[in-house]
Amino acid sequence: MATQDKRSDTSDFPEIVNTDNLQSNMKPIYYSRTFLSIIGGVIAGIWGFTGFTGFVFYFVVMLAASFGLAAKAKFSADSYFDSWNRVLLDGILGGLMSFVLFWTFAYDIVHIF
Amino acid sequence: MADDLVLDTAIRNWVLVPLSVVMVLIGVLRYFVSKLIRSSQNPDTKAIKEGQAVIRARNLRSAAHLIPSKSFRSRRIYFTNEENGLLYVPKEEAQKAQAQMFQDPNMAMDMMKKNLSMIIPQTLTFAWVNFFFSGFVAAKIPFPLTPRFRSMLQNGIDLSTVDVSYVSSRSWYFLNLFGLRGFFSLILGEENATDDA
Repeated sequence: MATQDKRSDTSDFPEIVNTDNLQSNMKPIYYSRTFLSIIGGVIAGIWGFTGFTGFVFYFVVMLAASFGLAAKAKFSADSYFDSWNRVLLDGILGGLMSFVLFWTFAYDIVHIF
Repeated sequence: MADDLVLDTAIRNWVLVPLSVVMVLIGVLRYFVSKLIRSSQNPDTKAIKEGQAVIRARNLRSAAHLIPSKSFRSRRIYFTNEENGLLYVPKEEAQKAQAQMFQDPNMAMDMMKKNLSMIIPQTLTFAWVNFFFSGFVAAKIPFPLTPRFRSMLQNGIDLSTVDVSYVSSRSWYFLNLFGLRGFFSLILGEENATDDA
């Protein structure tokens, strides 16, 4: 994840955000969450999770992804993003639909047919 | 009794997989078609000048605390001066410009093309699914839903005792429609026109 530092050097003025860098930092978050939700869906289907367990598994995967992203951002959201919410929460609901699709697909292929 | 329906492998081979493959291919096709038919817009000099002036003003605004206030004020007057300020537009001209934007044929054509290119494949695919793949159980969703969803998910199946988890192919179509958006953003890169938001 090639992130770029985007904060200005003075510390007690309101910070300038370089929007190009911010957007290019958002992309790895989005791509990695989408990819992990697809893979997580296939895994959940193959293992045969049903109902509530599957959703719990999805949120566990998303938590692991958030932890990995935070570790990559060296645990200081301020130097790469404008708020913690973007690192931790962005893209979770969008990935849910992909997760459900691939979960249904894998579950049906392995267990029903 | 309602649990553990045994579904034919042929359903998997000939319904689920082809439907997903078709939707992926249609999405890719739509992406390339929209790229091809996008009319090459000749940039309008005046519009570009105005856009660059707006960007300059925005940079000034965001960095305002870093320059002495006198230079900030003088720059601001340069932009908003009533006689020859870059950003100052008299009221009549502003309304005229907006009306012209709506009548501009290029922009209207582009918007219409984008809308059409999204609606037509969806409608056609939905009609195709309804025609060929209705009247049987297509898949089982791994999580249970309340019985109120039965009419929405099982519309081709006329038995009322089948578990709500067993859905028809129309709901498989909708599941694909929403779930493949993330997949498209992975394989097609950033600006893909598959967002139906």
